Amino acid sequence: MIELHRVCKVFSVGPIKVPALTDISFRVAKGEFVVIHGKSGAGKTTLLKLLYRGEVPSEGEVEVLGHDIGSLGLRGIAALRRHLGIVFQDAKLLPGRNVYENIAFVLRVLGAPRGEITERTFDALRAVGLHSRARAYPAQLSQGEAQRASLARAIVRKPSLLIADEPTGNLDDEMAGEIVQVLRDIHAGGTTVVFATHQTRLAASLRQRMLVIEGGRVVKDEG
Amino acid sequence: MVGFLIGEAIRDLKRAGRVAVSAIVLITLSLGAVGAFLLLSGNLGNAVATWRHHLRVIVYLKVEPSTAAATALVRRVQELPGVGAARYVSRVEALESLKKVLGKDATAAEGLSANPLPASIEITPSPDGATPEGARRLLERLSALPEADDVAGGVEWVDKLARLQRLVTVVGLAFGGVLAVAAILTVTTATTLVLHARRHETEIMRLVGAPEFTVRLPLLLQGLIQGLLGAALALVALGVSHHFIAPKLAPLMTVALGLNELDFLPPIQIVAIALAGAGLGALGGLLARGRRDI
Repeated sequence: MIELHRVCKVFSVGPIKVPALTDISFRVAKGEFVVIHGKSGAGKTTLLKLLYRGEVPSEGEVEVLGHDIGSLGLRGIAALRRHLGIVFQDAKLLPGRNVYENIAFVLRVLGAPRGEITERTFDALRAVGLHSRARAYPAQLSQGEAQRASLARAIVRKPSLLIADEPTGNLDDEMAGEIVQVLRDIHAGGTTVVFATHQTRLAASLRQRMLVIEGGRVVKDEG
Repeated sequence: MVGFLIGEAIRDLKRAGRVAVSAIVLITLSLGAVGAFLLLSGNLGNAVATWRHHLRVIVYLKVEPSTAAATALVRRVQELPGVGAARYVSRVEALESLKKVLGKDATAAEGLSANPLPASIEITPSPDGATPEGARRLLERLSALPEADDVAGGVEWVDKLARLQRLVTVVGLAFGGVLAVAAILTVTTATTLVLHARRHETEIMRLVGAPEFTVRLPLLLQGLIQGLLGAALALVALGVSHHFIAPKLAPLMTVALGLNELDFLPPIQIVAIALAGAGLGALGGLLARGRRDI
């Protein structure tokens, strides 16, 4: 499903080279739930960006769902992402569209038939417990609801791999717990989940495989 | 999918707001200018065609030939390239024509002791012979006739009119071209603003693996819509102007150019202006570039 081999990522700021990831190697099998844990600035987001080809590795190899990330062209990137679900700390909902339209938007841009769009959108909304808020606009949602809408958008296409980059970062414990439960449900449905968080207690409470990152290196792979 | 793309294009157009309106106005102005010059050029072309049709070349003869020699000469002239028709005009006939032209002053001609007018061959050029180059060659051939004393033709001013027509077309295209570049830049600016306004949509589209054409096509379509609106407005403005102004100019056109009425643009030019509008808008939409963050 995912395989990284001796991956390094270096950002250039003018003449200065800033290493973000150093010598990262690990595998994630199909159906796994993996927590990437580390402090802010440890390299979690850069690592996740490599998985959806938001970045390319400076060295080493990244393979996701059979795609070599380093050699993907625009078509290859689109083909890979059609099998991924991605959520961020910021829900990234479109402010001018209601919850239903935000989720349906994904299916519409991919050319899904109209009847299928309605059915799958409500399926996704039910999966995150947000079907009663379908007509609400993002400004009318709590942060937890917005994040659940973002999760519904990520799973509406039934992705093979869900990449969640700090989806609970802005939430209180109760809301974070709701999001984590949704992630567990999605995982129980057969989706591979890679979940990044800086929240130590939350990461430990999940009782899943955990990769700990410090200073751009994986220092622990446990669980 | 098509409905979605058009819906997104219209949404984008609303987002561009005043800049989109400026782009439409500039396209209207540029195509209106081109259309106005084409209209003028087309009518000058009609005048040129009309006058070429009435064009006559006269070959004045050194001596008046016998009837048989005149018939043979006319036959020889008719076989020359560029000659449509040829007619022999005797000295007597020429004097009678002069008297008709003089009208009440014809008595002045009757006082002449001898007929001073030479015999001549009056030639109507064929379409080939009525072009500037064809007319020049025809005059050369007629001057080379041993019987010819002098050759006169009114081709010069028709050529001047034709040159004016070409000048009007070139000036119109150049003027319209400058405005068209401004229009393209304005559509590009409008589309760049749209790109900035819709960056969240674009980001989501790219994150979910939408094909690149789905991301770019609404931009191209909104440029195309601006272009078509601009072209439609330009054509309506030209049509309304023609409807109200042409009848008032008709008497002047009759006297100056021999035209009974001012024609509007032919259908092919109307279609060309509409296509040019669509092309300008689409090009503007295509040239816009936003940052690709992911």
